[in-house]
Amino acid sequence: MADLISAVTPPTRPEELYFERFGVTQEALRAVLSAALSRGADDCDLFFEHCVISSVSMADGKVNRASTSIDLGLGVRARVGDQVGYAYTEDLSLGAMLAAARTAAEIAMTTPGRAPVNLQVLGLPSYYPVKERWAGVGMERRVPMLRAWEAAAFARDARVEKVSCQLVDAERVIAVVRPDGRVAQDFQPMTRAVVSVTAQQSGRRESNLYNLAGRAGLELLDAERVNRMVNEAVDRTMFLFDAGKPPAGEMPVVLAAGASGILLHEAIGHGMEADFNRKGVSIYASRMNERIAPSFVTVVDNGTLDASRGAINIDDEANPSERTVLVQDGVLKSYLHDEISAKHYGVAPTGSGRRESFRHPPMPRMRATYMEPGPHKPDEIIASVKNGIYCTSFSNGQVHIGAGDFAFYMKTGYLIEDGKLTRPLKDVNIIGNGPSALERVEMVGDDLMLDEGGWTCGKDGQGVPVSQGQPTVKVGALVVGGVSQ
Amino acid sequence: MSAVPTQIDPLKVARDAVALGLRLGADEVRASVGRADDVQLQRRGGRLERAQEARTFGLSVSLLVDGRYSSHSSSDMRPEAIAALMERGVESTRLLEPDPDRALPDRALLGAIDEAALDLDDPAARQRDPARRREELEALEARAIASAPPDLISTTAHLWEGRSESWLCLSNGFEAQSARTTFGWGVEATLKEADTGKLPEGYAFEQAVHLNDRPSIDGLMAELDEALALTRRTSACASGRYLMVLDARVVGRLLGALLGPMSGAALHERRSIFLDKLGEQVASPRFSLFDDPTIPRGLGSRATDGDGLLPQRRALIDAGVLKTPLLDVYYARKLGMAPTTGGVSNLVVPPGERSWRAATAAIPEAIRVTSFLGGNTNPASGDFSFGIRGQLLRHGEAVQNLSEMNITGNILDLYARFIEAADDVRLNSSTRSPSLLFDGVSFSGA
Repeated sequence: MADLISAVTPPTRPEELYFERFGVTQEALRAVLSAALSRGADDCDLFFEHCVISSVSMADGKVNRASTSIDLGLGVRARVGDQVGYAYTEDLSLGAMLAAARTAAEIAMTTPGRAPVNLQVLGLPSYYPVKERWAGVGMERRVPMLRAWEAAAFARDARVEKVSCQLVDAERVIAVVRPDGRVAQDFQPMTRAVVSVTAQQSGRRESNLYNLAGRAGLELLDAERVNRMVNEAVDRTMFLFDAGKPPAGEMPVVLAAGASGILLHEAIGHGMEADFNRKGVSIYASRMNERIAPSFVTVVDNGTLDASRGAINIDDEANPSERTVLVQDGVLKSYLHDEISAKHYGVAPTGSGRRESFRHPPMPRMRATYMEPGPHKPDEIIASVKNGIYCTSFSNGQVHIGAGDFAFYMKTGYLIEDGKLTRPLKDVNIIGNGPSALERVEMVGDDLMLDEGGWTCGKDGQGVPVSQGQPTVKVGALVVGGVSQ
Repeated sequence: MSAVPTQIDPLKVARDAVALGLRLGADEVRASVGRADDVQLQRRGGRLERAQEARTFGLSVSLLVDGRYSSHSSSDMRPEAIAALMERGVESTRLLEPDPDRALPDRALLGAIDEAALDLDDPAARQRDPARRREELEALEARAIASAPPDLISTTAHLWEGRSESWLCLSNGFEAQSARTTFGWGVEATLKEADTGKLPEGYAFEQAVHLNDRPSIDGLMAELDEALALTRRTSACASGRYLMVLDARVVGRLLGALLGPMSGAALHERRSIFLDKLGEQVASPRFSLFDDPTIPRGLGSRATDGDGLLPQRRALIDAGVLKTPLLDVYYARKLGMAPTTGGVSNLVVPPGERSWRAATAAIPEAIRVTSFLGGNTNPASGDFSFGIRGQLLRHGEAVQNLSEMNITGNILDLYARFIEAADDVRLNSSTRSPSLLFDGVSFSGA
């Protein structure tokens, strides 16, 4: 009994209804669906979730902090056109589930809707098969891992003063149940490891970190990745001692391959989420099939990349995940749709209906967003800049959807002078306007890289895991938060 | 499989968790149970777009077992689920390394402010008629549409209300209970600028602990009008150093940059600009910052803090001198200092005597920052850089709406450049600060 509750054990047979082990029978599901449709809603969905997150941390040379978080519950959404009634409960007894369904149903005020048909568990693809689950990796194996990371960080540079390490694993089963009989059940693993470093040099202190994340088990933390995590955490901290600020103002910006996908996420990705467009409040709302970028720019949002943090086998409305081309050869081709926006536009959903948990209704969200490789060589791109900056790592970003203004924070980078990388730079906010930044993409490298870190995208108070990537890209002009004399 | 008991007694759940933890071998246990009722409504296009309602429970437990520490939380309130959580928790804690700094606080430091004095639980929350909420939201939306500018393309009205309660039990016998209510509403609107094609957006959201303190529709509309006016025809002005008026609505962003480095974790990990600076001048002598959890009906007020410590009003920075680091019980022990509190409640900056307009009337050019876009702070070095929007002021009068600009500098240098607090404190916020004026801030723009 204890294992059933405090650990996630994926269904052993494809047709097994996972939440039956919590007492939720097929009859109960049909009754709750009927209750959600009882006031005449067009459609509804039940979203069950069981999630166990474990974390263990090391600080001051001791692995002395651990935590567990268990979440279990049901969210019920009833829909009338684009109107949504939503309620949730952490109690999976029939009475509590029916009460939630009746609350959600109140969005509609007509006659009872259609009766649910027989339930059928869908077969799903497997974009994140787990080789070794964390459930089988006890504390006695985790503790030495963290110790080894810490030791390696101290050994890397004598200036390292403090090291903290954290290992977080999450295992989650979701089940989406629809009145047409579809039941989509997905086992969604997530592993995240972080090393943070504080170092001292001549009385000055700097700190930085590096992290790895993906939908995988223990295998995510192979020797090569772990070495990179530790080395980058230390090296990126030391880099800051010699780094300064660029001059202030508008200048060419070259974004290194990888995490610079944050540019796409903020400058274009959010503007492609079709709920904003459906309401007419995105700057891209009236630009479908128009050229919005040079012909060598193709932007994709892809939920099917193996073991990536943004991968999903199925979305949270039970629609298949897919590779969605947003911009093809510079032309806007598709938004990211949930069912409500897909119906509005008369297109198929893109498998982008996602939610943070059973406490939240789904909406169109990104998965793994990246730019396809272009025709230019990275060296050639840097050499083309007379005076500008080269950004190598980032911490966060934000966008104003309607105005299209976006910003991202460069943690480390370099000044470019006469086509060469010169002075190291740190801690600079860069700001631009999405449509004009895309038009000003002047060169795209052939070196696409997906970032391996743990990005979380926030929208309307909901956070979902995403991935992002980009080849080396040159934007003709962005406003760099440098120092004015 | 048993169900969640129909009537959960949260205090009993917390007490039982403490007792079970001790029975399983824990030396000390802290258990808290939270219960929240939450309603969110949203109207757009003349009809209800979203209605959400829920009652939610959660249990959090911290365990000290043989000098080892772990914490656990669950939304699953079935007795056997809680028992499994505790059993697994105690078992896994034994496998960690000891942490000598973990212990419950000294009983003498524990306590709660009288709930009646704080007045955080408005009885109106329990008497609220659901139909009345919908009527109020409808009235708000109707007013927003009726008073909309001609280029409005979308407006959404929101209403949210909630009541949350928490029960804290420590194995040393301390118990505390608190409840708070929230009543909020607001409007967001998007315009279409015909010539630029841009869709500038503005919003006005306000909330209060008591329904009667919630700002009126008139107040929201005035706020929305100003927000929308600020988003029209924006552009960047020249890069340079300007006097900055940091608007009272967004002042929390740069006050927050001071709080991270004040935390016990940052000080202990030595990634703080305030390391070894206690009692030293870290800001202009004109600048003071207080944390005050005791304000009646304050949005950030609280009866007790997360450790169970009795909340007190404290000067964090007094006349520019660093007075109080933010130390929870754990980090206080690590640093060998007395605990204060792990997190702030209501941040208070004393107001000045004149408006920001009067204070800038003699200044040829200044920039008023009214919103932030992206940006971050390095707590170890103090370096910061934030995207901003706002207004270029000439002799106190707005002459240009600004966007696509950044401010960049060092947080210690910024606060050394503080010159004046204006008189426009916002009371419907846990950041009770007026607009703040700083001299010679580096702006990057065109």
